[in-house]
Amino acid sequence: MDLVFRTAFVFLLILVVTRAVGRRELSSMEPFDMILLVVIGDLVQQGVTQSDYSLTGATTVIATLALLTVLTAWLSFRVRRLRPILEGEPIVLVTDGRILERSLHRQRMTVEELVAEARQQQISSLDDVRFAVLETNGTISFATK
Amino acid sequence: MTDSFADLPIRPRSLIVGLWIRRAVMTALALVVLLALVNRFGQRPVHSITRSPAATMRLTAPDTVRGGLFFQSLVEIRAAQAIEHPRLVLDDGWLEGMQFNSIEPAPVGEASRDGRVVLSYDALDRGDVLRIWMQFEVNPTNVGRRSYALALDDAERPVARIARDITVLP
Repeated sequence: MDLVFRTAFVFLLILVVTRAVGRRELSSMEPFDMILLVVIGDLVQQGVTQSDYSLTGATTVIATLALLTVLTAWLSFRVRRLRPILEGEPIVLVTDGRILERSLHRQRMTVEELVAEARQQQISSLDDVRFAVLETNGTISFATK
Repeated sequence: MTDSFADLPIRPRSLIVGLWIRRAVMTALALVVLLALVNRFGQRPVHSITRSPAATMRLTAPDTVRGGLFFQSLVEIRAAQAIEHPRLVLDDGWLEGMQFNSIEPAPVGEASRDGRVVLSYDALDRGDVLRIWMQFEVNPTNVGRRSYALALDDAERPVARIARDITVLP
């Protein structure tokens, strides 16, 4: 019983943390972020299973995580109002070649990073961009003129 | 050039079958969580009580545990009459594959009687309460069901007995 509650708490905590950290940080993994992720995973495991080495405990935790994942996806699918909370919303960064500094600033993203993303998609100048959108998964979509 | 999408069925049968399999698996997982919530996988303590003219004995301990878990067994004895040589007799489930971390208050003596562990305490007067806290950790390889019975004797004379089992889940 405690296992289910601890798993649910950690699931919600991770959901809140990932939403608070921001999508850019999570989509662009530097070596430091990768190591931090492993450390967080280890700490989470200790908090959830504690001293439990049993298959029963592992099965309970995995089942709870699977149910919560499906429940979150279902809620996001069925309840439109929850979608921005659970998944976030796409953020427009460039419109008609004009950089929306405020949006970039909110995502702690520099113009250089945006330009680098554009170069990776074979776009030589932001003047050619009609829309650049930071998607909910952290990637940037470009629509050229 | 062949259209690579042309051979793909719009609504293949495998998709429908797969959907129902996924639903069945999710239902099974939900059942696991439900069983955990109603304490079928252990850890929560269960109370057992027995009364005799000489004493009331209460045991609070989980009846189901999992490998690696720490748990507590609390024994409470209320003497209705004086018990000169109170002895607790533990069945094999108490110690078989269990790490005995601590016992408070410690017994004044330990012995073996027919393969069972006997813990001796100081005399109890009428109305005295003896509370014993025992802390354990489950050995992960200790899977199965064993007797977790507990007897209170006055020297060799039986006073009270609680018959219980403990199940260690894999």
